[in-house]
This record gives sequence, C-alpha cells and structure tokens, in this order.
Amino acid sequence: MTLPVQRQGEAGQAMSLRGLVKQFDTKLAVAGVSLEVPAGSFYGLLGPNGAGKTTTLSMAVGLLRPDAGQAFLLGYDVWADPAGAKKLLGVLPDGVRLFDRLTGAELLAYHGLLRGMDAAVVDQRARELLDVLELGAGNRTLIVDYSAGMKKKIGLACALLHAPRLLVLDEPFEAVDPVSAALIRDILQRYVAGGGTVVFSSHVMEVVERLCSHVAILAAGAIRVHGPLEQVRGQRSLEDVFVQVVGGRTATGSELAWL
Amino acid sequence: MVVTFVRLKLRIMANGLRGQTSRVAVFVVGAIAALCLAVGGWFVFALPGLLGEERAAGMLLPLGGAALVLGWLFLPLVFFGVDESLDPARFALLPLRRRTLISGLFVASLAGLPAVATLVATGGMVDTARRLGGPFAGLAQLVGVVLGLLLCAAISRSVTSAFATALRSRRARDLATILLAVVAALLGPLQLAAAAGAEHADWDRVADVAAVLSWTPLGAPYSMGLDVAEGRAWAVPIKLVLVLASITGLLWWWSATLERAMVGTAGAAGPQTADTSLPVARLLFRWLPRNRFGALVAREVRYWWRENRRRATLITFSVVGVFLPVVLAATGPGPGPMLLFVGALAAVSLANQFGFEGSAYAANVAAGVPGRVEVHSRAAGYSVYVVPLLVAIAIVVGIVSGRPATIPSALGVLAATYGVGLGLVLPISVRAAYALPDTSNPFAMNSGAGLTKGLMTFAALFGAVVVSVPIQVAAFLLGDVWLWIGLPVGLAYGAGAYLLGSRVAGRLVDTRMPELLAAVTPRR
Repeated sequence: MTLPVQRQGEAGQAMSLRGLVKQFDTKLAVAGVSLEVPAGSFYGLLGPNGAGKTTTLSMAVGLLRPDAGQAFLLGYDVWADPAGAKKLLGVLPDGVRLFDRLTGAELLAYHGLLRGMDAAVVDQRARELLDVLELGAGNRTLIVDYSAGMKKKIGLACALLHAPRLLVLDEPFEAVDPVSAALIRDILQRYVAGGGTVVFSSHVMEVVERLCSHVAILAAGAIRVHGPLEQVRGQRSLEDVFVQVVGGRTATGSELAWL
Repeated sequence: MVVTFVRLKLRIMANGLRGQTSRVAVFVVGAIAALCLAVGGWFVFALPGLLGEERAAGMLLPLGGAALVLGWLFLPLVFFGVDESLDPARFALLPLRRRTLISGLFVASLAGLPAVATLVATGGMVDTARRLGGPFAGLAQLVGVVLGLLLCAAISRSVTSAFATALRSRRARDLATILLAVVAALLGPLQLAAAAGAEHADWDRVADVAAVLSWTPLGAPYSMGLDVAEGRAWAVPIKLVLVLASITGLLWWWSATLERAMVGTAGAAGPQTADTSLPVARLLFRWLPRNRFGALVAREVRYWWRENRRRATLITFSVVGVFLPVVLAATGPGPGPMLLFVGALAAVSLANQFGFEGSAYAANVAAGVPGRVEVHSRAAGYSVYVVPLLVAIAIVVGIVSGRPATIPSALGVLAATYGVGLGLVLPISVRAAYALPDTSNPFAMNSGAGLTKGLMTFAALFGAVVVSVPIQVAAFLLGDVWLWIGLPVGLAYGAGAYLLGSRVAGRLVDTRMPELLAAVTPRR
C-alpha cells in the first residue's frame, strides 16, 4: 500500500480539528474544540441543544470562519486550501435552506455540475439516488413543497452525489420517518464499509449507539468525552453517560405541579 | 393592546441594531436624511403661509399631499419594501381577534422614521392654514394631516399586502402584473400635468387639477384647513367622511389579504405527469454549456422566475422601465436622461442578489465556487431577462418618439448604463449583503433593512448615472455622428465597467465567502 503524500495534519485522520473557537456577539458558542476523526470511522457528535454542534461542524467544513484554531479535512487545511478540502467532502448542513425553487432532479444536476462532474455521470447517479431514496425520478414538485423528511433525503442525496471520501452530516435523522431512517442507515453503513468516513451530529442516543464506532460528547462549546464507543460507554448505557457528562437535571416530581 | 404591538416593533428595531456597528451607522444616516426631508418639507409647506399666498397654498397643499400619498404607495413597491418586522403570519397562532391584530399592526407600522418624517413635513401645512385662516383652520388642517398620515400608511400596507398575495398564486400572477402596469400608468397623467404646468406656467390649469385632487382621497386630507380659511367650512365634514371611508376601506382590504396570507396557500398541486427527461437536461437550457457555469446560470434563470421576491423585482422593473421612458417619449422633450436612469435601475435589482436565496448559498460555499464564476453567472442569469427588455425599451421608445434612427444609439446608452450599474452593484452586492426575512411577502423587509436597501439603491443609481454622464455628454456633443457610433461606444463603455466591477466583486467573494453566507442567513 502506498501512502498518500504527507500533507498537513496527521496521517490516517479524515478530520482533524485543533482549538476551534467561535464567539457570537457576547456568547462563546465554541470554546476550543479539538477532535481527531480516524479515516474509516463512523463518528457521532452528541450534545444537547445549543451545545455548539452545528457551529463546530460549520467551521470544520468551511461554512463559518473560526475566530481561532485550525481544521484539516483529509489532510487539507480547510481555511488555507478550501478548494482541495471541499473536493472530497460531502456536506448536509442543518438549518440551512436548499435551493428549494428547483425540483429534486434539477437540484441534483446543479450540485453535480457545480462539483465539476461529467453530465452523463450526473444523470446516471442522480436518477439512481432519486430512485433509491424514493423521491421519484420523474417528480416535478419543487423542493419547497417537499415534506421535512424529503428535504433531508434530497439534501443527503446532494451530499452523496460526487462520491466524497468524507461525509459531514448535521442532524441527518431529524424529521425523517422510521422507514427512511433505516434506509439512510443502511446507505451510510455501506459507505463506511467501503472506506468512507462519516461524521454526524445527533441527540438521539439509539441511533448513535447503533451506528457509531466513535463518539464525542459536546456541551457548552467544549468536548467533554471522546473516543471509541465501547470506551466511552463502558458498562453503562450511552444515555446515562450523556446525562451525567452534560449535567442535566432529573425531575423530582415537585416542579410543574400545576400541569 | 395596540401599545404592546408598538413596543414590540420598537424592541425588534432596537435589537436589530444591537452590536452591529454598520447597521447603526446606516440607521443614523437614514435618520439624518429623514430629518432633513422632514424639516425641508415643513418649510416648503409652511412657505405659502409665511408669504400670505392663499392661491399658492391652494395649489401646493393638495398637490404636495397627493404626491406624498402616491410616494407612500410607490416607493415601497419599487425601492424600499415594507418593514415587516412584525410578520402577520407570526401572530396566526395567538388568540387575537382580527380587529385587534389589524389595528395593532397598523399603529405599529406608524412607529418608524418615514411616518415621523411625513408627519413633521406636513406639519408645515398646519402652520400655513393657521396663518391664512386662524386657529380653527389650523385645527382642521391638523386633523387632516394626521388623517393623511393614516391614509399613507393604510395605502402602502394594503397595496403591498395585496400584491404579495396576488404574486403568491400562479393564477393571479398575470393579473397582478397587469394591475401593477395600470397603477404605473397612472403616473402618466400626473407627469403630463407637471410637464404642462412647468412649460406653459399655466397656473390656472394647475389650480384646476389641485381643486379636483382636493376632492379625491389623495388631496382631501391636506385641503381641510384651507377650506376653513376660504370660508368653505361645510366641505370639511364631507372630506372627513371621504378620508375616513378610504382608510376604513383600505384597512378592510388589507385585513382580507392578510387573512389569506396567514392561512397560506401551500401548493395545491394537481395530479402531475412524470418528467422522463434526464436530470441535467431538466436543469439546463439547451443553449447553456453542460458545466459549472451553465448550472449556475440555469439556476439563476429559474430562480428569477420561480422565486416570489425576484419575480416581484423583475415585474416591477419591467413595468417601471417600460412605462417611464415611453410616457416621456410620447409627451415630453424626449427620453434621453430617462434612459440613463432605466439602465441603472435594471442593474440595481441585483444590489442584494445574495440575500434573495439566503442560507441556500451554503451549497455554493460548500462546493467552493470561485468568485469570478459566481459573479459572472449571476449577471448572466439576470441579463437573460433584462437584455431583451432593454432592447425592447430602446425600440419602443424610438418608435413612439417618432425617431427610429435613434434606436441603436439609445440602445448604446442603455448598454452603457446597465454595464456601469452592474460594475457598481456587483461589489456592493457582495460587501453589503443583508438577510431578508423568511416570509412569503416579496416586499417584506427586516426593520432597518428597508432603509439600507433604499440608501444603497439610491447610491448605486446615482453613481451609475454619474459615471455614465460622459456617454450622455458625447451623445449631446456629437449630434448625428452619435447615431452611428452610439451603439458600439455604449457597448464598449458598459462592458469595460462591467469587467472592472465583476473583477472586484469576484475577488471579494473569494475572500469573504463565509462572511457573505453569514450576512445573508436570517438570524433565528
């Protein structure tokens, strides 16, 4: 096996974040996140609402400029060499609109051509993706009229279209019905088995526990725990670890008595 | 209850400014501009009273007042948009009666710089009426001025809301276009009157127009004090009824369209036939290259038609752009300077082009589209609509004014100003992009953004017209020679300016991609 040319960042790391910091107005959203994601891993980023998951992932993929710190994707420095890093990356951002005045097929064609793919390849893959994700290859509906789950699926299709080596997915299972979720899980597992790397954020423990080889728990803008799933979980359930790490409160029964 | 709405509006305005130095600066500039207009207006309207010119007052007050009302009607449609920081749809779930909601939103819409400026400016009329007819005339005029402000707000709210509703459904879109055209055509007679008045100094005719206007809702509120001063106090109650009925009618219309907006008309799509063509062929038009540039242009072209905000912009421009020069060509001295304005106005529509799609721009950032390609493709996508339109304008104006030989040179002027406009507007669109609210009203603006939009629009318009002055001077000096060289010179001038501007804009995009994305993402 020949090693790729040593670029920056550690070899064998699909994503490598070093001391990322982001401040919004007065709020410190991300306070120095460092994370190593090994190539070929299925990495779950867990955290309560407002922990900074989306902010961290946005900085990692080049959508949001960090105040400090570095991000390497497959060895490319995202902020020094964005073109190199973005070529091998597929992103599904959360809370970001799609170009929703296009139909699903049009959006896929747009993304494919934007990535510099050959038109014939785009056609073939786009039809296959629309078919597999049950979005309908002949569907004329504009994406703005899609349901929330369909929007997630077309977003995922756009991220997959150019066969990236690294997939960064922000809340890929939110609003997706169980049948589609199972389908997406299968697709992602096959993708990882084929040598790809997936990083995704979620706050659904079951999904993370079932899929991930590695997890990291983010709270209040900092990584609290990270490592291989078995190591983080130990003998307990992931949910127990999560609640303990995040420091959530448990209801005693005395509050909200009027309900 | 109404107070709650006003406080909410003011609170949203204040929060929008918090921690944003540039927005505070724009707000301050806007406030100063509003102050100047207010004080200037006050003096103009107070002047007849100071001079004791009853006849001048009889013309100025109704005409000036009517102009103000029309301004409130047109400026939001064409330039500013309406401040929809209180988006009606957000109140849909609250247990509010429609009456409460409408009165609350209506009063809240008065809490803003334009309303205050208008009130101060028209305050000069009260002074005039008092000087000419004593305290009772002043009092009557004061009532009229306040009612006039309410009329202004009601007319701008109801019309923008009605257009928003109309533009939303595909069926009514064509109807809305025609309606807008008719409304714009109403400008024609006004221009005629103004031109006739200025040319022949035929004050009697102007006085007649003013007298007629003062019996329409446009001029009625502003002539009440004068009626008292001239011993026609019996007219005041009639005009009161007229104005109040107009305001009530407009508010009722507004509430009807609001109801429809709040319920929403989400796509009731009928059974569809499957599209069997390949995805790339569905996105691209046949004349576009099958690559990145082609995809970007195709998306832009589809967006200019499919997205409400862009379609509204496009329709407004085509109506204004065609009507103004044609009316001038048919009636006045010729469309010359107006063509400069039209070419620049075409480009100004792109001043916030990144704001139109909002956070969807993330797709282009994630794919790392180079700034040069981004900027060129956007200009190309828009030009697909605008260039044929400009050609049509040049031809129609040439024919209407009876001088077909001027068509090529007129086209040259349009090309030059459009190119210069793009050259100025493209860097602005990158550097000064701002987020638009996520509503279905294409005229909606965040609080303060309307001001930003207006200021930027005027700055770009003014800049484009100034930079294009050499072309106009050349046309004037060269005479007949210009008819021959106007087109190539204009094209070259415009192309040069465009290349320069797009280069700057492309570099800006390359260095500021994430900042640009953050700027156009609505704050949640």
